Formats: sequence, C-alpha cells, structure tokens
Amino acid sequence: MTESAASTIEASRRQEGMRLLSEALHEFAEATADYPRLLKVVAQRVSETIGDVCSVLLLSDDKAWLERATFYDRDPEVARQYAAAMQEPLSMSETSLAREAMRSGKPICIPHFDIEQFRSRTTPESYELHRRIGANGVLVVPLRVRNEPLGTISLVRYRPGHAPLDEIDVEIAGNLANHAALAIANSRLLRRAQMEIDKRVKAEAALSESERLRRAEQDVARANRFLDAIIENIPDMVFVKDATTLVFTRFNRAGEELLGLGRNELMGKSDYDFFPRAEAEFFIQKDRETLASKTMVDIPEEPIQTARGTRWLHTKKVPILDAEGTPVYLLGISQDITERRVAEAQLLNAIQAAEAANRELEAFSYSVAHDLRSPLRAIDGFSQALLEDYGDKLDAEGQKNLERVRASAQHMADLIDDLLTLSRVSRTEMRRQRVDMSEVARAIIARLRTVARERRVEAVIADGLTAFGDDGLLGVILDNLLGNAWKFTSKRKEGHIEFGVTERNGAPAFFVKDDGAGFDMTYAGRLFGVFQRLHHATEFEGTGIGLATVQRIIHKHGGHIWAEGEIDRGATFYFTLADEVTTP
Amino acid sequence: MSERIILLVEDNPNDEALTLRALKKSNILNPVVVARDGAEALDYLFCRGAYQARRPAENPELVLLDLKLPKIDGLEVLRQMREDERTKLLPVVVLTSSVEEQDVLRGYALGANSYVRKPVDFDQFVDAVKQLGLYWLVLNQRPPASK
Repeated sequence: MTESAASTIEASRRQEGMRLLSEALHEFAEATADYPRLLKVVAQRVSETIGDVCSVLLLSDDKAWLERATFYDRDPEVARQYAAAMQEPLSMSETSLAREAMRSGKPICIPHFDIEQFRSRTTPESYELHRRIGANGVLVVPLRVRNEPLGTISLVRYRPGHAPLDEIDVEIAGNLANHAALAIANSRLLRRAQMEIDKRVKAEAALSESERLRRAEQDVARANRFLDAIIENIPDMVFVKDATTLVFTRFNRAGEELLGLGRNELMGKSDYDFFPRAEAEFFIQKDRETLASKTMVDIPEEPIQTARGTRWLHTKKVPILDAEGTPVYLLGISQDITERRVAEAQLLNAIQAAEAANRELEAFSYSVAHDLRSPLRAIDGFSQALLEDYGDKLDAEGQKNLERVRASAQHMADLIDDLLTLSRVSRTEMRRQRVDMSEVARAIIARLRTVARERRVEAVIADGLTAFGDDGLLGVILDNLLGNAWKFTSKRKEGHIEFGVTERNGAPAFFVKDDGAGFDMTYAGRLFGVFQRLHHATEFEGTGIGLATVQRIIHKHGGHIWAEGEIDRGATFYFTLADEVTTP
Repeated sequence: MSERIILLVEDNPNDEALTLRALKKSNILNPVVVARDGAEALDYLFCRGAYQARRPAENPELVLLDLKLPKIDGLEVLRQMREDERTKLLPVVVLTSSVEEQDVLRGYALGANSYVRKPVDFDQFVDAVKQLGLYWLVLNQRPPASK
C-alpha cells in the first residue's frame, strides 16, 4: 500500500468518525432526560463504531469504586455473559486498566491483547470470560467533564477480521467519550433535580391533615401579625368599635398618642367614657350613620377633647360587614389636622393682608397719578402763562429760569409716570396671547419719528416676530428698548436701530441693537436697577426706571434680559420670554 | 340760535384757570359754565337747585368732565347723564389726570365720547384742547334735536 493510499483511507476513516460522532451527539442529546437509556445509547454507539464489547464504568459518589453501569455487544448473549461476570464493582485501590486510564486521564490502547498477561490484575470471572471469547484488543478511554473524572468506557475486541486498534480508533473513541461524558453529567444533574422535586412532592403528600391545619393556622397568625404591625405603625389614629355596643375593640399607637390614653384604658369602653357629652353624641351619631348606610362616611373636620386640649380630626368611618352583609365592626381612621388648620388660617390671613396691602397700593398709585400731577400742571401752566403774559418784563436769565421750572415739572411728571408703570407691572394680572412684536415695534418707531421729524434714523425691523405674553406689557418692553435706542443715537448724524431675533446660548432671543452712545460693560450690572443711570442728565434725559420696568416685565414672563455694549459703539439688548404658559 | 355753551366740571381752581386759558388760546370763544363738583354739574344739567331757572333748551354743547370730584364723582355724573333722555346724547369728554386702565374702561363703558389725560406740559394741553374744540364744536355733526 502506497503512502498516499494509506492517507486517503485514514482521511475517509476520520470523516466517517465525524459522521458517526454527529449522529451520536443527536442521540445523546435526545436521551439526556432518561439516564439509564443514555448510558445504553453511549455503550451501543461506541461498540458499533469501534467494536466489540463496550462497557461503561462510572465512579461512585464517594469516588471509592468504579461501578459497571452498562454493557453492550451486538450479540446479546455475550453482553449477558459480561453482565454476569462483572457484577462486582472495581475498587479504586485495585490496579485495573480502567482505574489507570481514569487516574491518568489518558486513553490506554492495547492493539494486541493477551489476557494471560493481565491475569493477576483481573477477577477470575473476568479472566475466564476474556479467555473464552478470545479477547485480542483492548481500548480504555476516560470519561471526564471539565477535568473531573466521571468513569471510563472500555472496549474489548474478540471478533476476527478487525485491523488492530490504532490512533484513529483512539481519537474517535476519545471524541465520543468527551461528548458522552458531557451528556452523562447533564443527565445526572437533571436526574438529581427531578429526584429532589419528587422527594418534595412526596413529602407534601405525606403531610398529615393535622399538620396541614397547624401550618394554615401558622400562616393566618403570621398574616395577622403582619396586619397588626401595619395598623400599629400607621401614623393616623385607627380604631375599631363593636357594631352593636360601639365600645372600642382595637386601638393603634397613633390613637393612644393622640388621645393621651393607653389602649387598656380604652378597650371595652365607649365615647361617653372619655369625651364631653355633646362630642360623644356626635361621634356616636356618625357611627350609627355609617353602620346604617353600610358605606364610608367622611367627616372632614371634627373637634375632639384630648389630654393635649382640643384637636381637629379628619375622620373616615367604614363599616366592616360579615359574609351576609351585616355590619359587625366599625373601622375609624382619623388624621390629626390641627396643625394644618392653623397653617391654613395663617395662610388665609396672610393672603387677606397681602390683598389689603395691594388695594392700598393701588389707591396710593391712583392718588399719586392724580394728585401729584395736578400741582405739576399748575407749575408748568402758570410758568408758561408768566412767560407769555409777562415775558417782556423778564430779562433773558429770568426767562431761562422759568424754562428750568417747566423742564423740572416735566421731568417729575415723567418720573411719576414711570414709577406708576413699574408698579403696574407688579400689580396687573397678565393676559397672555400671541403678540405680533414686529407690528408693535413698527408702531413705536413711527411714533418716535412723528415727535422728532428732524432725526435721520434707519430702523430695520424683522418681519413676523411673535411672542406669547401680555400685549400691554410687551409693548412697554419695546417702548423702552426702542425709545432708548432712539434716544442714545440722537447725537449721530444718522442712527441705526435694529430689532430682530438671534440665537444666544442655544435658544432664540429677541434683540434691540443701536449704534449710539453705548455704555461701559463695567457697569452692565447696574443697567437694570431702579434709578440707575449710566449717562448724565445733561447728555441724555431719562428717569432711570425704564430698564428696571423692562426687566420686571421680562421676569414676569419667565424670561431673561441682558445687554452688551461699548462706549460710542452702541448697545445691544437681548431678551427671552418663556414661550409656554405656566399656570400656577 | 343760542350760544353753544361748554360745561366744565372741575374742582381744582388751577386746572380751571389753565383750562380756560387753553380754550382761549385755542380760539374757542364759547361761553364756559364751570361746575365745581359732581352735584353742581348734575343740578346744572337737570335744571335743579341753584339752576332751577335755567332753560333746559340751552343745554351745553360739550361737557368737559373731571373724574375726581367732591360730593359726586365724575363717573357717577356720567352714569346719570346717560340714563336721562335730556342728556343721553350730550358729548362728554373725560378730562383727567388718571390713566388707570380701570378708569378709562369704566369711562368708555358709561358712554364717554372721549378720554383725554391732562398733560403736564401746558403746550401739549393747549394742543389737546384745540383738537377737542375743533372736533366736538366744529366738525362733529350733532344728533337732531328731539322735539
């Protein structure tokens, strides 16, 4: 035989081995649930694949013995003889081939076996059997799972016509043994779990009726203790009354604390024993009402006399019915709302005081508007009358002084108006709606132009800008910001004002930009304070209230305002308005 | 044809003087009757009390009404005027210091024809009075007199 022919045969044997292995795997998997059958399948498979007699030996639980689990030979008579000869388990202290293979974890292959050489290492029955059938080859492979020895598979050849056992046989047997070991281990686990379940089921079935009763009682007692613990620890007073006599049969800790009475003092007694007559009668009447209606009765507020004085309770009374629907108990749950009542009363007082203060403020604002302005009108009007009627009797200085009187009156009128607007921002209730900011801005610019026709100002107003807010207040914002831009560009030959939307910090923000006098960023923090001004009155007139008002309006809308500027380079005011309506 | 009278209801003598001056400067030369509180205004309008002798046919052409008045306030005067057939259609211009939204709304709700806030700047006041006079005394078409 040439070398290549030999290797072709070798390859085809290996291929055949793989095919048999994969078939065996299926069978092993299917037999896993049935342990004895699995062992038989393993023995049969290995026997058919390599030949002839196959025995499966498994290590005992105490690891002292190798037990003969199953035998297979295609001649049942031989298998039977094997079973008869090999009844005794192999001690692990003996020097059998199986023990050696298992210890070393390596297969033992004896292609030319002579039983005479092993006579001393085997039992007389075994020796006799092997001699009789004419055993001529032996292969022992260990069964191991994750390095744990499980047992061995032993093959004995006696039929004529076999080629001597070789490496390929060892390899195929080894593969089969590995998978068999895994299947056996799984099957054992499964069998153990099944046995455990069976044991429990049997134990359950074996329980006597009285034991069952005892356990049921234990369960009920446990459930009761659990419920008791819950009731005991509820922070509200919980009590139970007998439905007929209305005496207390149960009380929790919160109840004891509330009343200042121990439950021993309460049990078996009624409301009449503890509370003033009228109060007890009220409680009893509500109890009867609850039991008669068979529904829960809610008593939102009831006073109760306790060791700590009068407390106020919110009580719910619930009838506890038996299976026939007859009330047997009355359950009461009372929450101590004394503190809450006090807090509510205080809150109500505070609200009333705040409302009164607000009304006062409104009355004050009204008289400020009316009463302070009318003397100013007189100051201005009569100064003007003087100028007109007696102007010729005054020199230039006198006329100038009268103009100063008039300008001051006007300035004070502006202050009053601005302060009123500022206070109105806080007082007015907002009516939110969608407001066309572009439209409002255009109207303001148009008005500014009519007052100062000589000014040259280019105003760029972005189209379609809308905001959600109070239209009057939003108008005040733009009035001030555009008015400021108009005012601070007044020293420019041609001023530029822009109103639009840009993105700042990842969110859209309105902006009003001008190229006027600007401001020093050092003082940016003071821009929005009341009466804070960054320019001298002689340069630009103003009250120092406008931006404070603007900020207040923007905050009221849930938005922010900030500014950027540089002296002589103009200013940009940015503001945001929370777009969604936040209801209190 | 009788002269077109303006009824000025005003308690503040300064404001009265300034209003008269503004009317004069606006070349509104109509006679002006001044009532110094709400009660007097109503007496005049309804020919009662001190004005018993007044001929009802000589009703004023225009009423300039302040809101904050002694005895009976301006809004009440307006309300009574609008309830009475004789004065229901008389043009009433509310002339006041207050721009409280509530006052403006109530003024219009009670049937004021105009609502003017008296400016502090006298020149502006003269302007406002001039326009008022022009509108109510010259341009405005009066309702036909009821027989």
